[in-house]
Parts: sequence; C-alpha cells; structure tokens
Amino acid sequence: MHGRPRKVYKPEEEAASAAKAVKFRSLQSQFLSNHHNKIYTKEAIDLSTKLLEINPEAYTAWNYRKLAVEDTLSRQESDPDLVKSVLDEELKVVESSLKQNVKSYGAWHHRKWVLSKGHSSVGNELRLLNEFQTLDSRNFHAWNYRRFVVELTNRSKHDELKYTEFMIGNNISNYSAWHNRSVLLSSLLERKADGFMPSQKIPEEYELVHNAIFTDEDVQSGWFYHLWLLDQTVNVETPLLISSWPPHGSRINLSRAGCLNDSSSSSKLTTFPLILYFDQAVGGVSSSTVAIDSELKGIEDLVWEPVSNKNSQVSCVWVARLKYMSSEPCFFPKEYKVKVRIGNSPGIVSSRGFNFSVPYEFVFTARVEDTVQEEPREVIVSWTDGFDIWDAQSEDLKNLVNLDQLNGQMDFKWRQEAIAEEIDLFRTLPDSNSKIGKLTIARLLMAKATMSENDVKGVHYEEILKLYNDLMALDSTHYHYYKDEHSVALLRKVTSSTESLSRHLFRYSDMNNSVCLRLNNSSLSRIASVEKLLFVQMLDLSHNELHSTEGLEAMQLLSCLNLSHNRIRSFSALDSLRHLKQLRVLDVSHNHIGEHSVDTTRYLCSSPLSNSEWSQDEVGRRMTPSLVTKYWDAYFVLRDLNLKQLDIAGNVVAGEEFSSFVPQVVPTLVWLNGHKLRS
Amino acid sequence: MEELPSITVSQREQFLVENDVFGMYSYFDTSDISTQKFMVEIQRDKQLDYLMNGLRQLSPSFSSLDANRPWVCYWIIHSIALLGESLDDELENNTIDFLGRCQGSDGGYGGGPGQLPHLATSYAAVNTLVTLGGDKAFSSINREQMACFLRRMKDTNGGFRMHNMGEIDVRACYTAISIASILNILDDELTRGLGDYILSCQTYEGGIGGEPGSEAHGGYTYCGLATMILISEVDRLNLDSLTNWVVYRQGVEMGFQGRTNKLVDGCYTFWQAAPCVLLQRFFSAQDLVPHGSSHMSQGTDEDHEGHAHDDDPEDSDEDDSDNDSDEDSGNGHQVHTSTYYINRKIQPVFNSLGLQRYVLLCSKDANGGFRDKLRKPRDFYHTCYCLSGLSVAQHAWSKDEDTPPLTRDILGGYANHLEPVHLLHNVVMDRYNEAIEFFHRAA
Repeated sequence: MHGRPRKVYKPEEEAASAAKAVKFRSLQSQFLSNHHNKIYTKEAIDLSTKLLEINPEAYTAWNYRKLAVEDTLSRQESDPDLVKSVLDEELKVVESSLKQNVKSYGAWHHRKWVLSKGHSSVGNELRLLNEFQTLDSRNFHAWNYRRFVVELTNRSKHDELKYTEFMIGNNISNYSAWHNRSVLLSSLLERKADGFMPSQKIPEEYELVHNAIFTDEDVQSGWFYHLWLLDQTVNVETPLLISSWPPHGSRINLSRAGCLNDSSSSSKLTTFPLILYFDQAVGGVSSSTVAIDSELKGIEDLVWEPVSNKNSQVSCVWVARLKYMSSEPCFFPKEYKVKVRIGNSPGIVSSRGFNFSVPYEFVFTARVEDTVQEEPREVIVSWTDGFDIWDAQSEDLKNLVNLDQLNGQMDFKWRQEAIAEEIDLFRTLPDSNSKIGKLTIARLLMAKATMSENDVKGVHYEEILKLYNDLMALDSTHYHYYKDEHSVALLRKVTSSTESLSRHLFRYSDMNNSVCLRLNNSSLSRIASVEKLLFVQMLDLSHNELHSTEGLEAMQLLSCLNLSHNRIRSFSALDSLRHLKQLRVLDVSHNHIGEHSVDTTRYLCSSPLSNSEWSQDEVGRRMTPSLVTKYWDAYFVLRDLNLKQLDIAGNVVAGEEFSSFVPQVVPTLVWLNGHKLRS
Repeated sequence: MEELPSITVSQREQFLVENDVFGMYSYFDTSDISTQKFMVEIQRDKQLDYLMNGLRQLSPSFSSLDANRPWVCYWIIHSIALLGESLDDELENNTIDFLGRCQGSDGGYGGGPGQLPHLATSYAAVNTLVTLGGDKAFSSINREQMACFLRRMKDTNGGFRMHNMGEIDVRACYTAISIASILNILDDELTRGLGDYILSCQTYEGGIGGEPGSEAHGGYTYCGLATMILISEVDRLNLDSLTNWVVYRQGVEMGFQGRTNKLVDGCYTFWQAAPCVLLQRFFSAQDLVPHGSSHMSQGTDEDHEGHAHDDDPEDSDEDDSDNDSDEDSGNGHQVHTSTYYINRKIQPVFNSLGLQRYVLLCSKDANGGFRDKLRKPRDFYHTCYCLSGLSVAQHAWSKDEDTPPLTRDILGGYANHLEPVHLLHNVVMDRYNEAIEFFHRAA
C-alpha cells in the first residue's frame, strides 16, 4: 500500500494506460469467476499468475493459489517431482511479483506459506534476499522474511551476525541491521552459546557501537543500539527476589492494635500481609512454590495473589494474607519463628519465561500479643502534627528497614566493569551539551548505582539529579520523561541508606506510633523504590506532581495516604489503591479531579456501563443510577476501599452532589472533607 | 592530511533531502509576505478538485490499487471531510452502493466486489461509511456478520489475521479493534490475549514493530498504541520509552521519519504525530507545563508571528479567571519565562508548527494533493495522511477535540483550519460522534 514507487503518467501515456486498465479489469473478472467456481485448471491458474504479475497486491489471488496448490497436491501427493514443480512455480510467481512490488504483503506471506511446506533451500532464499536487500537495505518485509528463513532452516546465527556486520559496515546508519543484530544476539546470549557469554560478548559490542557513535553523533542508530546494550548489561534474565515483608531477621508484633485494624470487624480473626517483591513480573507464586515453616497458627493454605491492576496472573508483587487467631487470651506474649523458603520447587517463572532458579529463604520472628484494646476512637487523622522524629540509629528502625538487595549471587563484576568503562568514555565526549550524551551518562550512572555497594551511592545520585535538571532545561520536548527519571533517581537516593531515609521517617503518636514516611514537597512526578518502603503505614506525598498512584499497590501496610496538592486528574488514576486492604485515610484534596468533562479516561473506557463487570454489580444497581453513571470512575475505585476518612475538597468534582454520592459508595466513611458524617 | 570521513548511503540520501528541504525553507524565508502567505495556504479549491476528480473517475493508473478500492474511497472522502466539505447525493449513493458490493455475504469487506473479505479494506470501508454519515450509510454495514468475520480472523496467539490464511500483524489487530469499537461490537473474545500480542511487538527502542522481532515503525506504533488504548490496556506498554522513541522521529526537516535513520515522509505526519498527542493527553492532560521552551520560539514566519500578537477572540473566550499570568504577558510564545505556567493548554511534545511547515511547503503539490517529499509525485494515500496529520498538529495544543485551536497554532491562520479527527480511528470528530450514537442505539 504505502511506499511503493508510483509512476507519474504523462498525457501521451494515458491512452495506453487506459487500454491496459480495460485488459486488467477483464482479467480480474475472469479470475474472480474462476475463484468462486473453484476452477483450478492450468489455464485458470495461469490467469491468476498474469493478474498477480500486474497487481501483486491482489490478495484474493494469492489465496486462490493456495487453494489451487492444495487441490493439486491432494490429488498428486505421491509424486515428489510433481510436488516440486508445483511449489517451484509458486516461488517463481512470488519472485516476479516482488520485482513488481517489493512491499507486497501478500507476496511475502505466500512465500512463507510455500516454505513452511518444506520447500526451497536456504541458499536459494538468501540469494533472493540479498538481491532485494541490496536494492533496499531497510525493507522491513525483507528483514522479517530473513528472520523467518533463518528460524525455519536453523541457519547458523553466527553467519547471520556476520551479515549484520557486513550491512553495518556498508552503512553505519542502517538501523534495520543494528536491530537484527540485537535480535540475534539476544537469542545467542540467552542460550549462552559458545563464544557468547554475556560477560565477554557485551563488552565487545560496546567497542563496535562506539565506532558508530563517535563517527557521527547525529546517527541515532548507534545510540539506540547502545541503549539496548545497557539493558543487556543491567538486566538479569532470571527473576530475583529483591525485597520482602517482613524483612529477614526482623521482629514484628502481631496485635490488633499494631495493624490498625478495622474496628468494625467483630471477629477476632486478624490478617497480616506477607509480601514478596521481585525485580520483574513473575507468575506461579503459590503455596507449593513458597514454603513456610512455623508453629504459628494460620499459616497453612496461604493464598498468594498477584498485586497488579490487570487481570493477569503475573506481577512483581505478590501478597498472602496470614490469618491468625487472637481469640485465646494470652497475657504473656508468645514468639514464633517463621521461615519462608522460595524457589525450592520450580514453578515461579518470569513473564519472559525464565525460572526463578536461585532458592532464597528468610526468617522473621512474629510476636503475638493480646494488647489491651481501647475502644477505637473515631479520631480524624491530621497531617500537621503528632509526628516524632525517628533516630537513624534506633533499633526499631533498623529492625524494619532492610535496604540490602537480596541478589548477592549475581555475577556483577563484568557488568560493573563494563559500565565503569562506558562512564569514563562518555565523560570525554567533546560536546558537553550533547543531550543524548548527558542522557546516556545519567543512565550509566544509574546502572552503576544499582550495582554498587552502599557506601558510594550518594555521590552518583547527586550527579544524576544534576544531569536530569540540565536536560529538563536543555530539551523541553522530553521534559516529562526527564522529570520522571529525576523522580526515580531522587527516590533511589532517599532509600539508599538508613541515614537518608530516616530524615523522612516519623512516628505518628496519635495512632499507635505508626511508621510515617514524609516525602511532601519533593517535586515527585512518579513513584519508585517502593520495594524498600514496604514497612510504611502512613505516607505523605502531598505537594508533589504525581499523576497517579501506580506503584503504591505494593505497600500493603499502608493505612493513611496523603496525596493532596498533586496532579491527579481522575479517580481512575487512583485505581491501584484498590489493592490496599488496610487503607483507611485518604487525602486527595486540591488535585485536578473533574476539571475537564472530557479527558483521557474516555479513551480508556468509552462506555463503562457496557463493561461486563457492571452487570454483576448488585451494590451499584441499588444506588441512584444517574449518579453512578455520572461518577462511574469514582464508583469503580471507591467501592473497593474501606475508608473512614476521605478528603476531596479543592477538586472540581467535589460539589454537593458528589458529597452526597460518596457515603453511598463508601458506607464505612466517618469523615468527609473534615466533617463528621455520623455520630 | 586528515582522511575525509566516509559517508554512508543513508547519510548521502539524508543530505540530498535536507538540501531540498532547507532550499525550500530558505526560499520561503527570503520571500515577501504575500508570497509566503500564498505558499503556506492549503488551497482548498485545488485540493477539492484533485480529490473530487479522483473519486469520479478512479483514473486508469489505479489498476494496481484494484485490491484496495475501499482504501481509495476512504483516503479521498476522509480528506474531503477534513476540508469541511461533503459529497453530493449522487456520489454519496454511488459510494455506499459500491461498498455494499464489496461487502462479503458472511461479513467484512474485500478490496473490490467479489474479493475476499480483508481486515484493512473492512476498516477503510467502515471509516468511509462513518465519514459519509447518515442512516443509509450506517445501516448498510452488517454488524452481526462483521462480528462473525472479526472472530474468524482472531488467532489463538491473541492477534488477528488480515484475511483467511493471511498474515498476522499489528495492522490487522488495529483495524479489527477499530472496527469493533466504532460498531460497538467489541467483546472479551476479540480482546483476549491481544494485549500480550501487541506487547510482544514493542521493541527495546520503545516503538512498536509489525510482528514480534521486527524493528519499531511509525505506522505500527500508531496501530499498536491505538489498539491498546481501545482495549484499555495501554498502561501495559512501556509508555516512557514509547514517547522517547516517537518524539525522536521528528528530524531537522521538522517532518517525521517512520523508523530510526530513515528519510522524512509526509504520511508520518499522521502516524507519528497522532501517538505524540495521544501520549501527551494520556500523561499530562491537566499539567502545568513550564513554558518558553526553545523549540516554541523558532518562529516560523512573519505572518504567523503577526497572528500570535493578535488579541484573537478564541483566546479571550477561553481564558479562565485564574489565568492572569497568561493574559498579562499576552503576546504569544516568546515572552514567557520559566516562572510562568500555562494551564489552559498543553504544549505538544513535538514541534507542531515546524511539522505544519514541512507539510505545507514540502509535501503539498502546487496542483493539489500531497506527497511524501519534494520531487515525489502526489497520491491519495499521502494526501489523506498529510491532511490528517496537519489536523492533528493544528489541534495538538488543545486539551481535547472539542476545543478549537488558537489562530497562532495554525500555520497559515484559520484559512487553513481543518476539522479535528478522532485520534484512535482517524475519522472526523463530528462524524464519529454521529456514528457512535447510531451504533449504540443499534446494540
């Protein structure tokens, strides 16, 4: 369709062209009649050949030929010579059609179809490909077909790699060749083929790409390939457990008061979340892949659930809710050791198909205590006072916060070396204001920080933050991208040590000394490093630039969240909060919810009420239908939250009508916008 | 003596194109104001002549497009609609009848009467009928059979096939989902596994390729992104890297390229600008964006800057009372310092005025129609996607399609204003609204 050369017709050619068109139309109508009457005679097939020579895009004719071939073969399959001649003819027709239009989808697809019947040879196909790829080295049909042939015939990937070198040598900005190189290498590195150990091959590839980058900085092909290499250097295929709640060696109290439980629950059954946080999305976390040894009651038959916004069975975060009985009064606290073993039996697999292969175990102590329970007061949580500073040296803090990554076994040495070399090299770039150069250094430093020991981390983060600040000023087109990266770096910096973290940590005295993290006024546009913050119960993110709560879903202990003065623009942006079963207090005042009647949500869900979920929703059906229709995005989020306190003032949506709607959706609500709803 | 750096084929071709483009720009820059005005004008009459002629007599040179006739209808009729015009009754009826004959008895549309139903031509036919509008056009589509056809094209890997025994790719996925969405027949069976398939086509560059393993490409990136938005799974894509990839496709010529280190081409005006605007609406619809960026102040021409200083009515109508800073400074793009913020409008993540300049000066054919680049012939495909992209660029500042753009956002002023399009289907917004209402009643 697109990109094929079209001829400009001069007036004197028009007549000839018109005559040709008449001939073509008669050909076309004869062909269609043959097709509809299933006529597969030699004459009929030849007619389709003629048609395709003139118009390779006549996909109906390609289909007709497939049917014709199958018809012939079904009658003659015993005769290998005849089969060969039939299929040879097909290859010939494809070849001449491609010469007419090298971008014909139908022709390339037909050739794949013939080949998948076990016909033709690698040599033959490569000859054809070389011809087309010399004519147009960027034709993606040809490259796709090349990958298909290589896959089908098991042609050596080494030879293919040499071909990409040849093509890159011809033209350093042929990104199709670079791309194919990355595809080939991915597969070779994955299999750790001979001579393709990542530790050895990736540094060689850096050498290769430097030629491209330093020849001409404006050639983007090299930069994108460099980006891919950096990914290969940093990312480890096998999924790793990067944090857990409770952390290894910690001592936690299981008491009603300690978990900020819902006062309305009448039973004495209390739940407590166990959280596993992986470096990439995995599936298959279950009671058979995660073993728990303990005398603590209630640990049998734990149900592990992925914490993810989609209905998918893979996630970075998995949670199991440990139920324990606190019915028997025990005035003396009892301690239980709990040992969690992950990956002893196979089954945890990343979404890219890699097994969690390094078994890991952690142990924590659960102290069960029946605290004397005061009648829960329905107090309003204020974010202004009641916060006590927490000493970084405090044992309590050290007990909760475990900032060490759990992936000690990785072969980091070559990775660290490769990144260090790249950093040194890019720092010598002549143009210190090169945007892509700065971005690359920032990414390299981030990678270095990820793989370094704790003590040197702070230094890198300062430099990374400065680079992103520079980039925001230099290149406004990518402002948001840099802003987000800046936020990630800032949060990584905050969580890089107990000392830096404790500057933001407090105890909230009005609520059993809940652990509170305050990151207000930090100009954050995105949330990151959540894996290191699983212990947080109160989180103050007010006065930032957040658009959504994505990432917070992992913080299963969270009971109070302050998002006031951010850039939340719809309730859909709060969707991830639905996973926070203990969330009781939410402040989203002074955001942009409801400011625009038409916003992106209409792209995300054009007709919420045709949503299949809806028809099964009894609660929603009992409420005022016009309000549910009007505030459907609020409804879908709020109905899953057991909030006691909600603040939505300062949003356009927060009118009287909405205020009357909210308590219908959230019957547990006591405080709305600072006012008590019921006594 | 220093060795001369060798120059690659791509670099040489790039050099030749830049030479043409910058030659044109410098000719423009040194022309007097009335010449400039003429040069950036869309010239509606010439466009309409070219398009109407094309529709009346699908000229002989179109034999090769014989498997794509609904496409030709769509390219032409959508272009006419973008210009704010419609067909006379006779042409309209002829088109509906013709497409009716392309419709297969068991659903879907082929490239011509009697041809095998095909997803791409079905998309073109449905979009054409939506653009024509009216009950006759809408009810000519057999929705139930279309739903069956779409289900037959669904593959077990989650993707769609173009036609029976045809290829599976992201284009097929997009056309299927766009049809289903507009006809209100989208269901779980059609969307099952589709997100996974599209996800497997996003490359590490950030863009989306045609099939798993392919390099990222503008057309497929649009198709993949629009599909993911339509099936509500867009947040599964790596949107940061997607944004990063797509905005880097706008080159020094200010037009878009389709892939890394390829030449600029007018049709990517739509394929790349539409994802930019979709992403920007997704990320920052309500953002306060620091203003006064470098690329905005690359004033395009005297004429245009003149407009920017006008106190035009749209401007004041729209200003909320809390926009005093904007009012006070009151004269266009250049005066804002980083302490000023705009919250009335969004700043596009690409250079919209630069893009419009490329299309109007380099892609526009003096005799009507648009083309890939200078020295190339015009055709209906490029005309359709240059005009669609121009409309996207004109409305790129608006927070939604319902807000008219300011004069200063339209190169050449309101004389060049095109109808806004629905970014996910590429049909004119009004026509989309009419169709959606009809098909929701039909359900």
